[in-house]
Amino acid sequence: MVEEREKAYLHWLYQAAGPGSRGFLRLLAPFGTAQEIYGQLGSGKLKERIAPRYAQKVAQMTAFSNGYDVEEAYAKMRERGICLVTEKETQFPERLKKIPDKPFALYYAGQLPQEDKKAVALIGARDCSEYGRYMAGEFGAAFAKAGIQVISGMARGIDGIGQTAALKEGGYSLGVLGCGVDICYPRENQALYEALLAGGGVCSEYPPGIEPRAILFPPRNRIISGFCDALLVVEAREKSGTLITVDMALEQGREVYALPGRVTDPLSGGCNRLIRQGAGLVSTPAELLEELFGKPGGAFLEKSGGREKGQQGRLVFLEGMQGELFEILDTNPLPAEELQRRYEEKYGKRTELPILFQELLELCAGGYAGQIGGSYFMRILKI
Amino acid sequence: MLSTITSGAVYGVRSHLIEVEVDVSQGLPCFQIVGLPGSEVREARDRVKVALKNVGIKLPPVCININLSPADLPKNGTMFDLPVAVGILIALGELSQESVQDTLLLGEMGLSGELKPVKGVLPIVREAAKQGIKRCLLPEKNAWEGALTKEMESVGMSDVKEAVDYLAGKIKKKGAGREGADRLSKMLTGEEVSGQPDFAEINGQQGLKRAAEVAAAGFHNLLIIGAPGSGKTMLARRIPSILPPLSLEEGLEVSTIYSISGLLQSADSLKMTRPFLNPHHTITGRALAGGGRIPAPGVISLAHRGVLFLDELPEFKRETLDILRQPLEDKQVQIARSSGSYVYPADFMLVGAMNPCPCGFYPDRNRCRCTPYEVRRYLNRVSGPILDRMDICVEALPMQFAQIAAGGQEETSARVRERVMAARERQSVRFAGTDLHFNADMGAGEVERFCVLGKQERAYMEKMFTAMQLSARAYHRILKVARTIADLDGSEQIGKLHLAEAICYRQSDRKFWN
Repeated sequence: MVEEREKAYLHWLYQAAGPGSRGFLRLLAPFGTAQEIYGQLGSGKLKERIAPRYAQKVAQMTAFSNGYDVEEAYAKMRERGICLVTEKETQFPERLKKIPDKPFALYYAGQLPQEDKKAVALIGARDCSEYGRYMAGEFGAAFAKAGIQVISGMARGIDGIGQTAALKEGGYSLGVLGCGVDICYPRENQALYEALLAGGGVCSEYPPGIEPRAILFPPRNRIISGFCDALLVVEAREKSGTLITVDMALEQGREVYALPGRVTDPLSGGCNRLIRQGAGLVSTPAELLEELFGKPGGAFLEKSGGREKGQQGRLVFLEGMQGELFEILDTNPLPAEELQRRYEEKYGKRTELPILFQELLELCAGGYAGQIGGSYFMRILKI
Repeated sequence: MLSTITSGAVYGVRSHLIEVEVDVSQGLPCFQIVGLPGSEVREARDRVKVALKNVGIKLPPVCININLSPADLPKNGTMFDLPVAVGILIALGELSQESVQDTLLLGEMGLSGELKPVKGVLPIVREAAKQGIKRCLLPEKNAWEGALTKEMESVGMSDVKEAVDYLAGKIKKKGAGREGADRLSKMLTGEEVSGQPDFAEINGQQGLKRAAEVAAAGFHNLLIIGAPGSGKTMLARRIPSILPPLSLEEGLEVSTIYSISGLLQSADSLKMTRPFLNPHHTITGRALAGGGRIPAPGVISLAHRGVLFLDELPEFKRETLDILRQPLEDKQVQIARSSGSYVYPADFMLVGAMNPCPCGFYPDRNRCRCTPYEVRRYLNRVSGPILDRMDICVEALPMQFAQIAAGGQEETSARVRERVMAARERQSVRFAGTDLHFNADMGAGEVERFCVLGKQERAYMEKMFTAMQLSARAYHRILKVARTIADLDGSEQIGKLHLAEAICYRQSDRKFWN
């Protein structure tokens, strides 16, 4: 058990050393507790004992500590609802304890994931396609319904969409940040950030107040994969930051799954390659649940009602022109005039644009199609 | 002795007749002009003195006083040279006052005495005709412009000597022919509009053309979104060709603006076709709205009764675009200067074009590498109030699709124009007795009144409202556009088909990219 007092000094130490000084902190470990290190810094002993090449770091710590009230700073942070948990404590997430290069401590706000519940990391490209956007939402919501915790990085694109969907369904989600937990980055995810604070949690190994920097993000990916039991890549290019997380997950012994995409779609290139390299192919949430719980269906299918029927089951209800139009729609948005041309080509019937618009809107209203802008339409798959 | 000559000046698009009063009396030789003359008016005395000398008329050393009446209106322009010269000669007794009875004189003078063309002849002559003046003496190059006004005999003069001889009755000269006026009526009936870009030249892009037709029919402002090279500019350039031809009154109104701007060079450039203006996005606010010490009409006034096309809308400076807000509302622009307040008409159809995202390929995710954030920031560069005034928003097809769809017989502008005119006819019947002219002019209240939906249609709209997550603002805009589509269809009742099409023309309330 770590005393609150010692935690206050640890908080000081992490702040003084600055982000990205894990190696330095490891070096300091034999010097005693954080409080003792504080004392040694004050008396100048630290400077004598440590290798000369760290002199600048020590000077930086001394400068930081000038006028810094350790206990007060910690109390203030706690008042803001931010907690610190160290690896020596029992509350420290079990899953993280086992990973190589684990963080010394975690700052968090809201709740950390529950140990006895399954957790899946749902990650992918920031500039995702409509397909990825849709899939992330579906999987996020399905996981929440099945009581699975969704771990991700609160980034733009797949991360944020999956987490938002999970929270909307009343599930738990954790955002692992590459900045202080008091900073919402990217700013457009403000609503998600607030929702996470209320119904989930955000955590970071960096102290509050640390601004997002590019070099801080790759290390946080090991925490995302560390928190999960399985990792699902929704969309990724062949060269993608998402693949760093995949590497970490493999190193940590987590199962990696990927959602297949079309081979011509660069945004699915990373996923398809992962599958080729042996990642599990997942096309519906049920399949992943089956893998996770080791039995077909898992908790999800019983709860989800009519959803288990595939799209063919639903298609029966689309009659006449709507059914025909659904057939020619694509998961990539297509302009109405292209649909008009395809319709004529496939069915040999010429149709006027206004009629096409009307029927397509009916499909949209029924949830079978989506409208992008004014004249682009795409098929929505029911999974 | 005293003489009075009738001349005129332009104030905005209104013009006033100005009396040039000349008094010549004995005393110390002097030459002064009063009645708020601008510098170019004041300089008339030097030009006149030298010009008269050079044509062989020598002024005696007398005291010349000239008053431009009404004296409280500021006078600008060089058209007073001729009236001042003639006025002096009458006051000196060289010519009789009767010789300039019911005659309007305008003209700038060179030092050799030749008469040079001036700006704004058309509106001044029209004003003079209204006030019962029968004849006008104009520089040769302006004579055709004067002849456009039917009741006026327009006589062109090459130099001041010729004018003096003509007034003295020494030479006879026939008024300028009515070729200008004949030409005009031909232009209006469309006999001379050949060579204009035509709709038939656009291959494919049916959706875009249809949207342009709807926009033209209801005078809705149009926003075209599309990848670079998808033909946005090509289409916009052809919109004037599907708008109804200008009426004589409208044509003269437009020509008046061009006359004030000095853009009417000859009968050929008379604006009898709908103007199309596409300023570059670096344009300043003043150039757009009109400006200068003596405000000249800006681009929006030159686009009066025509199309103002703003390509690359997000590249325009926000402040510049915001200037359009008031003219879009009032159909005119008011420019205040210390010399007075100028009002220029600015009743134009605004057509904007932009890329869907910085790289231009959205929503084709295989080619577009813009992040949602970049895309949203790009759209946000366009001021919201301007986007609000765009009733119809349409996407231009990327080339890959457009090329496939090409081929087949394309409709000509003339045929589209027929439908547009029929739709406009329905609107003028509907709005008879109100201030409104077109469906686009309707406010929220009028939409309730003129766009009544049947029970089925109302249920349909309710369904779509929730399914497509429409906003209240989008709802009204959809009804307005649906009204126009129904008008094009020749239907008094707005049907489901009309509503569905209008829904697809909505601006997705800035959710285009989400």
